Amino acid sequence: MRNIRLNVNGEDHEVEVDPRRLLVHVVREEVGLTGTHVGCLTGDCGACTVMVDDRSVKSCSVLAAGADGACVRTIEYLGTEEDLDPVQQAFLDEFAFQCGYCLPGMLLTVRELLDAEPDPDDAAILQAISGNLCRCTGYGPIVRAVRAAVRSTRGGEGS
Amino acid sequence: MTGRDDAPRYFAPTDLDGVLRALDGADESTVVVGGGTMVVPTMTHGHLVPTVIVDLVRSGLEGIREEDGATVIGAMTTYSSLLAGERERLREPGHPLNLLVRAASGITGGPQIRNKGTLGGSAAYANPSSDVPGCLVALDARVRLASPRGVREVPAAEFYLGAFRTARRPDEVLSALVLPRGTATAWGYVKFKLVESSWPVVTSAAAVLPDGGLRVGVGGAADRPVPLDLPTPSEGTDDPAWRALVADEFARALDTHGAVPVDDVLADARYRTDITPVIVARSVAGALERRQG
Repeated sequence: MRNIRLNVNGEDHEVEVDPRRLLVHVVREEVGLTGTHVGCLTGDCGACTVMVDDRSVKSCSVLAAGADGACVRTIEYLGTEEDLDPVQQAFLDEFAFQCGYCLPGMLLTVRELLDAEPDPDDAAILQAISGNLCRCTGYGPIVRAVRAAVRSTRGGEGS
Repeated sequence: MTGRDDAPRYFAPTDLDGVLRALDGADESTVVVGGGTMVVPTMTHGHLVPTVIVDLVRSGLEGIREEDGATVIGAMTTYSSLLAGERERLREPGHPLNLLVRAASGITGGPQIRNKGTLGGSAAYANPSSDVPGCLVALDARVRLASPRGVREVPAAEFYLGAFRTARRPDEVLSALVLPRGTATAWGYVKFKLVESSWPVVTSAAAVLPDGGLRVGVGGAADRPVPLDLPTPSEGTDDPAWRALVADEFARALDTHGAVPVDDVLADARYRTDITPVIVARSVAGALERRQG
């Protein structure tokens, strides 16, 4: 067992972990933020996506011990019920999720895309979400939601 | 006996010397973790039960530099950082990084995998379906292996011994990939798969050599990457005679290297063997087009 420090959504945590302990389990069980989901535990589905030092990763493929000292941001950081991130609002408006299991990972991945590329074309959108599996929507509504988020963000800039 | 409940010892050294100290006396039960995208899930699912974990996350073994006529890629260089540097680099069409960039841009699993997955990790894990091993063979690359006993470099074509099996010894770390410069004038890369998110069925990396010949690395078709040396097709890559030659050369190379065609749920061995000349032809066509500009 070893002690690690994580800054999660701006708050410092010190946790004792087995070297095999996965970041996703620390986030959910030690830090207590259950918005990050456990899906396949093989790095395929993307439900466990979090940001580590400002880059999206699949937290089921990250050893918590190796993330010692990292700055982690989870879905809980993205918006609040009263003040949704434009990406969250767009997913809601466009019915871009059903069961919601993939949603936290999908939202963080799309947020990262739009931060890097404010006006992506459909190919860039599909490429960005290619590591997030949704078994409900068929992806059409998700792509529409991303386009809507782009429009609302640009509208917000008054352009 | 080490059961699943005994926590392994864990090292996250901050430089290569520290990695080598952690590997001193290592045996098969030591696991070296690179980006973790393949090894960590394998541990989670209990297929790998290490007594020692050497995590390269803080090792500093990343970055791309030029060294004595070769481009050297640190093992921990991620696909994202390879792609991020792309726009700043002005290179001749035959530069070895051009091939790896083409391959890296098609890596599936999303940005999350490209942000964590490393070129050294893919090379060392030796998944027959990964893009990197076949590219290394086409690049005539060498794999740099460091251990407490010293450093050696192994040609990629000799490094791969089978599915998930390489010449790396338990106390060695794959520290870098060494890509000789000037081996090609242009590259082509084709990855064939039937479903967007699946592993590829067959990949082909093609190099046009300065003497006009071709060097190809076929991935996915067999349990290890298969190198092919081919003549440039005088009648174009659609020429049935040239494609028959590719099929013959592939069969011969399988034999020479003791390679076994992959036969799994994605595609059976016959299918993979049958489409290999087609995928090779497409990659060669792309390379020849790029050479002509």
